[in-house]
Amino acid sequence: MIKVLRRAADRRRHANGDYAWLFHPYTGDEMVVINTETIGSNSRSAELASIAAVKVRGDRVLTSESLDLHLARPVSSSGESIRIHGSRGMDLSGGLTMTDALERLLDFVGNRPLLGWRLGFDLAILNRELRPRFGFDLPNATIDVAQSYLRRLRRRHPEVETAPRFEKVAELLDVPLMGRHTALGDAVTTALIYLRLEHQAGALGRHS
Amino acid sequence: MVEVDLSQPPFTLLDDAGRERIRQGVDLAYFDCDEIVLETGQAGENLFLIHKGEVAEVDPTLPAARSRIGHYTRGDLFGAISILNGKSRYRFRAEQESLCYLLPRALFLELCNDYPPFAEFFRQTLAHKARLLIEQRAEGGVTMAGFMLARVDECMREPLIVPAATTIAEAVTTINERHADSMLVEGDVGPGMITKTDLLNALVVEGRDRDSALDGLGHSELITVGPGQYLFEALVVMTRHKVERVVVLEKESVVGVVELTDVLSYFSSRSYVVSLQVEQADSLEALAAASRRTPELVKALMAQGVKLRFAMGLLAALNGRIMSKAWSFQVDERYHRDSCLMVMGSEGRGEQILKTDQDNGLILADDLDWPDCGEQMQRLTETLIELGYPPCPGDIMVSNPEWVGTVTQWRERIARWASKRDGDSLMKLAIMLDSHAVVGNPVLLDRVRDELFERCAGDELLLSYFARTILRFSTPLTLFGSLKRPQHGIDIKKGGIFPIVHGVRVMALERGIRPTSTLERLDALAEDGRLEPRFAEDLGEALSLFTEMRLKQQLEHLDSSKDERNPDRVVVQELSSLERDLLREALHIVKDFKQRLSHRFHLEYS
Repeated sequence: MIKVLRRAADRRRHANGDYAWLFHPYTGDEMVVINTETIGSNSRSAELASIAAVKVRGDRVLTSESLDLHLARPVSSSGESIRIHGSRGMDLSGGLTMTDALERLLDFVGNRPLLGWRLGFDLAILNRELRPRFGFDLPNATIDVAQSYLRRLRRRHPEVETAPRFEKVAELLDVPLMGRHTALGDAVTTALIYLRLEHQAGALGRHS
Repeated sequence: MVEVDLSQPPFTLLDDAGRERIRQGVDLAYFDCDEIVLETGQAGENLFLIHKGEVAEVDPTLPAARSRIGHYTRGDLFGAISILNGKSRYRFRAEQESLCYLLPRALFLELCNDYPPFAEFFRQTLAHKARLLIEQRAEGGVTMAGFMLARVDECMREPLIVPAATTIAEAVTTINERHADSMLVEGDVGPGMITKTDLLNALVVEGRDRDSALDGLGHSELITVGPGQYLFEALVVMTRHKVERVVVLEKESVVGVVELTDVLSYFSSRSYVVSLQVEQADSLEALAAASRRTPELVKALMAQGVKLRFAMGLLAALNGRIMSKAWSFQVDERYHRDSCLMVMGSEGRGEQILKTDQDNGLILADDLDWPDCGEQMQRLTETLIELGYPPCPGDIMVSNPEWVGTVTQWRERIARWASKRDGDSLMKLAIMLDSHAVVGNPVLLDRVRDELFERCAGDELLLSYFARTILRFSTPLTLFGSLKRPQHGIDIKKGGIFPIVHGVRVMALERGIRPTSTLERLDALAEDGRLEPRFAEDLGEALSLFTEMRLKQQLEHLDSSKDERNPDRVVVQELSSLERDLLREALHIVKDFKQRLSHRFHLEYS
């Protein structure tokens, strides 16, 4: 509810701005999978390390039209995240500034619908950085692939409670992991998972 | 950047920058099991690199058993040829769920341009594939491949070499002793060729003495071939140089001689020559001449004891080639993609050995604009009659507008026939069930047949009506299980062939089995579990026996045109006791099959 109000307010405020087109409804057939790698796992405090986006059109993952942005070293680079991602402070140097990165992301994504694995987390972080700089949240329609997988799983096995892990789902759907723990690799894998799910749903629909 | 395994050729022929361009340029796509990745005639837009899964390459104009040309798995590339040629010659179908990288055409061509070795790789695979294809065809005995693959050393003679000091008289004696036509004479510059004609000229025209040496008689500029070259090439060399023999040289030394007469007799003893004629025919007359020779070919095959199944396959392929040639002479190229000529009935099943009659139809794409279609089809039918395919008495031919239509029209017709269920409609459905694409775009026929299976396979009532015809002709067995022996013979077409063919057709319809040939359908039914493998095999054997008996009579019929007897009739009294036993056994199998069918489709009370 608050989100809807906020979006309406954002739209009005930016009706004549540079980014007004982001608020138009999308009519094409493309979608964009986004994925971020962060330092820290709390959506309030985690810092962006890299952002990846890849387009999906029809039944194809357009890896030739993808975006892979590495950000400049953030202020806090704690030892813990270095252990998780193997990304040390020096790996993060020589990247883009946050404003440049977000600008390029917005241009790339446009008003296409967004896909992602646990998209809420990525969006929370992106919006946290977007709002102070551009004055709005990402207004796009969103599909959380993890959610739609869980929904399908529940329909078939109502007793299942645990949330599925990314790698496990990929394995179950027979989707190859395209390079784990790189932002783009995970984005491509998510795209493939999405295509599989869509396809299975289509096949089910035809049979019944 | 995506992980693509680029450590295999042809990518090793690129440098790092080139590989990086591929990484940047590829897309990913999923293909479903049985989804068609690239259709025949479709323009090649991408090079496919399989990340996971299996893809088969299929030639849809061949019978199902032989149509799989290639098979690709993880790490394999395909589609390059369709890019280089502009369109795909064959159909690529995913055999499993497959994940492919798609390298766009533009990028591929750029890479070919920038890295010549990379381009070379694909040219090579093109040639490699063409060779594989020829070899595969040779195994099936189809087309001219076997003929093309014969090599010089299979057909050459020992060279006859004599010293230069030999006298003419001695030379003639040697030639006669060795039944040769020519000899080689050793000289200062290497061996020279002397033919019988040379000897004759030396004696008569030049007036040389019988005892003079051969010195100076030979032609030292020899025309040579290598032992590994194709015989075909030797023939071309002879034609080009207007000579009747060539010398086979291996590493500078003479190993044999190939004579024109040897080559010709080698070829004429082979059945391939008909296929070759068909391929080479560039006018209707030439095609008709080749077409007239097919009965000869059948006779030769039967004499060699070739299994009927293979002979049928060969003839079906040959008839298909003749038709598609006739089609390409008559029909404008721009219509080829949007139309499909199908053959039906026995020809569609690939069981027509001699040309009995033409059953064919035409499917057009829905949006095709073809103003003088009727006229051209009339001409096509006439051409086929000229080629020796008698007109169909039931007028099931492309000249009849009822057998020409767009995909939508065909689907409507099928729906109409299926709901009407009278004798005529059922016959037409049966004919359509056996349809097989010969030329044009096979997808159109697939679409029509999809409708057929969808509408009819689940309709029990229709199936029952459909199956009823098998009881129309009684099996010619007496109450005690021995053969009936009427004076005019028993009709094996009605009593034996028809029940098997139709029964199998009904079962194939029920189970949605796509192949059209009866033997292939039997295999599929056995695999499906609908028939026990043993029984399916028996039925196949019985059918082969009937067909062979009928064929033998048809061939005799062709030879003696005054014989007015119907070739479908077998006079039991004239058979040997072994043949009689076989026939009786086969008819018992037919009877058994009919009982099963009437049980399955509830025909007892009809």
